[in-house]
Amino acid sequence: MLRFAVLQLSGCAGCEVSLLNAGEWVDQYKLVYMPLVISAYDVPVVDVLLVSGGVRTDDDSYNLRRAARRAGQVVAVGTCAISGGVASLGDRDDVRNLFLAEAGRRHVPQLLPRCHSLDAVAEIDLYVPGCPPTPELFLAVLSDPTDFRASKIVCQECGRKKLKDMRPTRLIGFQQGEVVPNICLINQGYLCLGTSVRGGCRAPCPRAGHPCVGCRGPSDALISKGSVAWLAMIKGVFAGMTDIPVEELDVALRSPHLALFLFQFSDYAGTERPPRPKEKVL
Amino acid sequence: MPTLTFPLSRIEGHAQVVIEVQEGEIVSARFQAMEFRGFDYLCQGVPAEQMAVIAPRICGVCSTAHHVAAVKALENAYDVELPPLACTIRELLMLGQIIQNQATSMFIFTMPDRLGLSSIFQTAEKEGPDEVRARIAGRALQVRKAGTDLITLAGGQFIHPVKAVVGGVTSGISAEAAATTRKDLAEVLPVAHELFDYYWELSLALRKRIGTWGDDTPTYYITALAESCPNYDADVIQVMGPDGAMCASFSARDFRAHLTSQDVEYSYADQTSYRGQAMRANSLARVNMVRRMGTPLADEYLARFHEAFGQPAHAILLFDLGRGVELIYGLERAMEILAEPLDHEDTQVPYTPRDGEGYGLVEAPRGPLIHRYRIEKGLIAQAEFIIPTVHNSLAIERALRIAAERYITAERVDMELERAVGRVVRAFDPCIACATH
Repeated sequence: MLRFAVLQLSGCAGCEVSLLNAGEWVDQYKLVYMPLVISAYDVPVVDVLLVSGGVRTDDDSYNLRRAARRAGQVVAVGTCAISGGVASLGDRDDVRNLFLAEAGRRHVPQLLPRCHSLDAVAEIDLYVPGCPPTPELFLAVLSDPTDFRASKIVCQECGRKKLKDMRPTRLIGFQQGEVVPNICLINQGYLCLGTSVRGGCRAPCPRAGHPCVGCRGPSDALISKGSVAWLAMIKGVFAGMTDIPVEELDVALRSPHLALFLFQFSDYAGTERPPRPKEKVL
Repeated sequence: MPTLTFPLSRIEGHAQVVIEVQEGEIVSARFQAMEFRGFDYLCQGVPAEQMAVIAPRICGVCSTAHHVAAVKALENAYDVELPPLACTIRELLMLGQIIQNQATSMFIFTMPDRLGLSSIFQTAEKEGPDEVRARIAGRALQVRKAGTDLITLAGGQFIHPVKAVVGGVTSGISAEAAATTRKDLAEVLPVAHELFDYYWELSLALRKRIGTWGDDTPTYYITALAESCPNYDADVIQVMGPDGAMCASFSARDFRAHLTSQDVEYSYADQTSYRGQAMRANSLARVNMVRRMGTPLADEYLARFHEAFGQPAHAILLFDLGRGVELIYGLERAMEILAEPLDHEDTQVPYTPRDGEGYGLVEAPRGPLIHRYRIEKGLIAQAEFIIPTVHNSLAIERALRIAAERYITAERVDMELERAVGRVVRAFDPCIACATH
């Protein structure tokens, strides 16, 4: 029976909660470490180590290195583990000083100057993006990731109709106004990223009438190209489907600090880190 | 000076307990939160409308409460009045949250303490009767999932939901979808009922074995519930005194006049107090304050609880039993709502964003949660999160000290102490991701 462990670094436990909803693993795989649900204080040798959260403290860094050595395969789970996630929003000069004021506490793990993705600290065998990844994705990781078939982009999983003759002239924002059922959110003037974001989540947000915020990151076609190409692609889609002025779109997309929405752009923006190979991304 | 350190598990997040002892006397008992992400800071400068998406990321366990609190804070700043149907759908969201949370706390976090196991999922060679796993784990996950399915229905996604927006919710719920979920909840109710009865029995057996229900010092209690029966989408915070008399009632905007917050050097979580005194939030505060739940089975349990333990009840292990009353209520109340029409009228009103200050209050599973935003030029200039677990910090430390005094003497430390520390902390169901945010 496959033995797996879940190591939670600085995160929100949303990934763990999502795993709990994939209840099928209970009878199929042996969970040996996951402090949220098991009293066990050290990561044992395992076949698969799932790691969630970003590397925010010295403890996070130590615990990750230590556990990774004992694991057959290390899987980065969720947006925080892959790109720093929401915590990357703190990686700005004006905000960083505020963090340093917190760093002086004693008897607690010390904060690192910034929040790091896991691959800054350990070698990662598989990336499972999503905030959080759906239970289905967790089951795919534990069974056979190569078997997992998903649409290329969220758009294909959403089911809303794109209309040729419904061209908004203004961006009505990202979370404002009435949502017409069954019609593409871009046709309605929402800043939806589903046209370029990796599929596989089954599009819960746009189905519920909320624009895709891009938590799964760029699609295979964009993953190695960086944020400039990604932004250009989104602008191209809006130019084709709407009459919204490009300047308006640009401001909204950058809103601010390249933070839109789950801070993926900042991670893909001009960093020196080589792109994650798409074969390793579920 | 000998120092005992206890790492904690089966709670949300990273925390530990440190007890300092000198010649059998307890010098200090500390509850340390060990993580920090800094949402107060990192939200600065983001467009206000994004808070409904960003704030849930404070915590994956409590994301629904943060989602609703964020939207309510913006509505408070923009002075928006909701259509009634939007309030009803948000109530469903909060009920899904309470079902999910109380099922997790009872059957996944604290049930193992009553069975002498390290986890309900364990299959470890030496300890695990597989039968326990089969009997409890599957059913615990089933009850929990009823809560998460309800959040999915009302919120679009069961972690970090998206359907609450400023001015309402993105859509109603079709009669067909409501009926399906209602049927599922009806199937789960007897399972929850049976598990709770078993849990109650196991709790009595635990009490018999250890000889105490834990720290029972009369204490202040704080909730944001409506007067008569529960409504987790609340508007007023209430404080009950140690004698059971109500002693304060105030809006979120006035919380500073009543609650004092201070940071501590040994933890990333603050501590709040009421007039310098420890207080308690979470399930025990609620079952102490409500006269009735308002649904049949939950009212039976509430009457049984009040009869067995009094009102107010003060012993900390009763927090755990209080959760069961709320779990049953959540299932019953959600079924009532799902029998009503939920797509018959508008779910949103138009609004105009404006600068200013807004407060969003909800009764989260762990107690009153407040989001405060100051908005300038449409961006967040300041964000503050008043977290229920932080209201419990002082009460947790007092209960830890009382447990330590029970199990530590000048001669020896009783091995029961480690288990007692776990039980004390889990009774409060603290959430560290929220507490430190």
